[in-house]
Amino acid sequence: MSEYHRSGVIHDLGYHGYVGPREGTATIARTLFVTGLRHTYGLGRSGKSKVLPFVLLAMSVVPALIVVGVVVLTKLPTLPTSYPNYVNQTQLLISLFAAAQAPVLFSRDLRYRSIVLYLARPLSAPLFAMTRLLSLTAAILLFTAVPTTLLFLGALLAGLDVSDQVNGLLKALTLQILLAALLAGITGLISSISLRRGFAIVGSVMALIVVSGVVTSIQAIATTQDSDNLGVVAGLFSPWSIHNGLARAWDVDVAVLTPPEGAWPLAYSLVAMLVVAACVLGLVARFRKVGSR
Amino acid sequence: MNPTIVKLALQALLGRRRFWLLLAFPILLVGLVAVLAAFTDAEAAWTVLPALGYPLVLPLVAILAASSVLGPEIDDGSIVYLLAKPVNRHSVAVSKWLVALVATLVAGSLPLLLAGLFTGDIARAVALSVAAVVAGTTYSALFLAISAVTRHAVVASLMFVLIWEGLLGNLFSGVAWLSVGQWGLRIGHEISDQLPDPANLVWACLASLVVTVGGVWFAGDRLRSFSLRGED
Amino acid sequence: MSTIVLDSVSRWFGNVVAVNDVSLTIGPGVTGLLGPNGAGKTTLLAMMSGFLAPSSGQVALDGRPVWRNTDAYRQIGLVPERELSFGYLTGRQFVRANADLHRLPDAAAATERILEVVDLVEPAGRRLDTYSKGMRQRVKIAAALVHDPSVLLLDEPFNGVDPRQRMHLMDLLRRLGEEGRTVLFSSHILEEVERLARHIEVVVSGRHAASGDFGAIRQLMTDRPVQYTLHSSDNRALAAVLIAQPSVRAVQLRGDELHVQVDDLGSFALGLPAWAQQHDLTLFELSPSDESLESVFAYLVAR
Repeated sequence: MSEYHRSGVIHDLGYHGYVGPREGTATIARTLFVTGLRHTYGLGRSGKSKVLPFVLLAMSVVPALIVVGVVVLTKLPTLPTSYPNYVNQTQLLISLFAAAQAPVLFSRDLRYRSIVLYLARPLSAPLFAMTRLLSLTAAILLFTAVPTTLLFLGALLAGLDVSDQVNGLLKALTLQILLAALLAGITGLISSISLRRGFAIVGSVMALIVVSGVVTSIQAIATTQDSDNLGVVAGLFSPWSIHNGLARAWDVDVAVLTPPEGAWPLAYSLVAMLVVAACVLGLVARFRKVGSR
Repeated sequence: MNPTIVKLALQALLGRRRFWLLLAFPILLVGLVAVLAAFTDAEAAWTVLPALGYPLVLPLVAILAASSVLGPEIDDGSIVYLLAKPVNRHSVAVSKWLVALVATLVAGSLPLLLAGLFTGDIARAVALSVAAVVAGTTYSALFLAISAVTRHAVVASLMFVLIWEGLLGNLFSGVAWLSVGQWGLRIGHEISDQLPDPANLVWACLASLVVTVGGVWFAGDRLRSFSLRGED
Repeated sequence: MSTIVLDSVSRWFGNVVAVNDVSLTIGPGVTGLLGPNGAGKTTLLAMMSGFLAPSSGQVALDGRPVWRNTDAYRQIGLVPERELSFGYLTGRQFVRANADLHRLPDAAAATERILEVVDLVEPAGRRLDTYSKGMRQRVKIAAALVHDPSVLLLDEPFNGVDPRQRMHLMDLLRRLGEEGRTVLFSSHILEEVERLARHIEVVVSGRHAASGDFGAIRQLMTDRPVQYTLHSSDNRALAAVLIAQPSVRAVQLRGDELHVQVDDLGSFALGLPAWAQQHDLTLFELSPSDESLESVFAYLVAR
């Protein structure tokens, strides 16, 4: 039996509280924003959730490619459609995208109460709600901006006047920001109220597509009855008519039955911003209510 | 036809917030047409119906009704309580379909008749409501079958109505052969010439019948093979 | 008296095998289906209740398969794990609806009777979404029992139930078992199974690991030493005697208890009285210390 010098040490591998530097609220909000944006396109989720957004995106991009092809091949002097007009023509797909993807960001968290975990420490309810809303707005903006940008690039390729196209593009994108905010606010609020995905979608479709159709009908009837003012007032009730009306007021060629004139464009913009603000407040209230239980 | 299941499905449809959504459609439609007919002329008011009421509101009501009676119960598995009984699965499907059908007809087809009557031409209104009854029946059976198959029944049904029947149907006339709404219109065309004449009458009748019966039978068959997946 | 027989039943979902060649028989009385989470208990119960088809093998109730056999539900009462989504119904309405679906000749009387059995008469007029978890479990059991079935299948019935309600539920199940019904409940909590069911079926990773009385299973675990606790007049002297025997693997003195690990139970049992008498020691108490379900379970899971 030999004696040897024994030494040993036991390492403390157990759980320690974290005392190092932590990220600030800004980073958390930014990460949440990016994650939300990715989720609306199905990135970072299962394969099946990518099908719908990308199919809708493809369907709204294909006509743009066709238009670009036609312009390039036939050497047209201008684009056959203005950027806001293209967005107006594809409004069904855009509304469907907003209606179908808003529940992904709003309904699931609120339904399964996992929201309470998110609100426990990092972000307050108002900040969380607004970040989610920003994600959805950015997603819708992306959805409308991709075909618009494709048209723009195609126009440049075909050698059309650059300053004209840039002018048109900037106007279109500004309008699209307002449109995206409106669509996101409305569908987001509906999705946070009706927590089952299917019924939230039906509610959003009703708010966006059915009401839009009603407004168009009223405007058509108003023109035949020579009471254009009625049509202009009706135009306040649908994000699409607001988008088209404001585009027309900005001298862009869009098919609008009863274009707003005089003080009306200002009224349109004000109403749009009020609606967005009301949706934000509604969302914050919903998140606070569910998060506090 | 099982009266208990009918009662349960009715309670599921009426006892929830979505009932108000279901009610909002007909009120909106009838109200709009009535207001327009009062302030302008009847012809202008009529245009709302074939443009909006029939192709959009009717299928939306059918989607809401059909997915409410079957979707949520299959989704969270509580349909087990209805199926763990010596009850014929097809009778479960038929009972649920009857509730969805009545809801669709009352909240979708009936308002179309009322709104149409506001616009004066009785024959035209009756024709459109006959078309709505046929299409509503077929829609409710079709969407019930879709609800029994997939969790994303509402989105799938919406895609069918908006993109297939709506967008593509307006672009390509051949779609009319496979469009439930067009079949209804063809049958209504027999009563009033003011409705369009998209496809063959025999085809429209036959197709509506086949889809209705097939849809309900298919839903019953899926219920026979309903599987409880564990969370394990 | 009904018997459920599973014959070489397997079930796979794509690449995942949830149940792997399980053969077992569930007879009258209370049986516990035991296994860790993910072992396939819910899958087995779904197959036994006719709500999942086996990928191979046969699941039969009294000789007839249960899959796609709606008549079998006259004899089966199922209490699934899922939450009720009929929150807008009252307790009485829900149980009555179940009774009506079974086409019972006197549904109202059956409903009242079963509400008394589960002790839910007073809250029966309130809506289900105002019930506590324990009450919801009891109303589910009432709905499953209203047609007086001979088979009762319960999936994790004690999940989330408070101790007092749990005792009440256990009494109820014990009574049902004594009446001759076939009661099968699944659980991964050993204390519950130990208290309620002497006969257990253990499922681990989809395989049928053991079946029978858990004391008897313990006796079969021969590659592990059996542990006993002894109280005697002189523990240390007894310890010295025992360690000298070849059938004893280890002894340990802990306080005033003597713990013994025994390899060969037979010769130990035969020899112990003689050794004690030879050395003038009195034995006061001899009890097995690892014939608990926990040790059986740990052994089976670790294999």
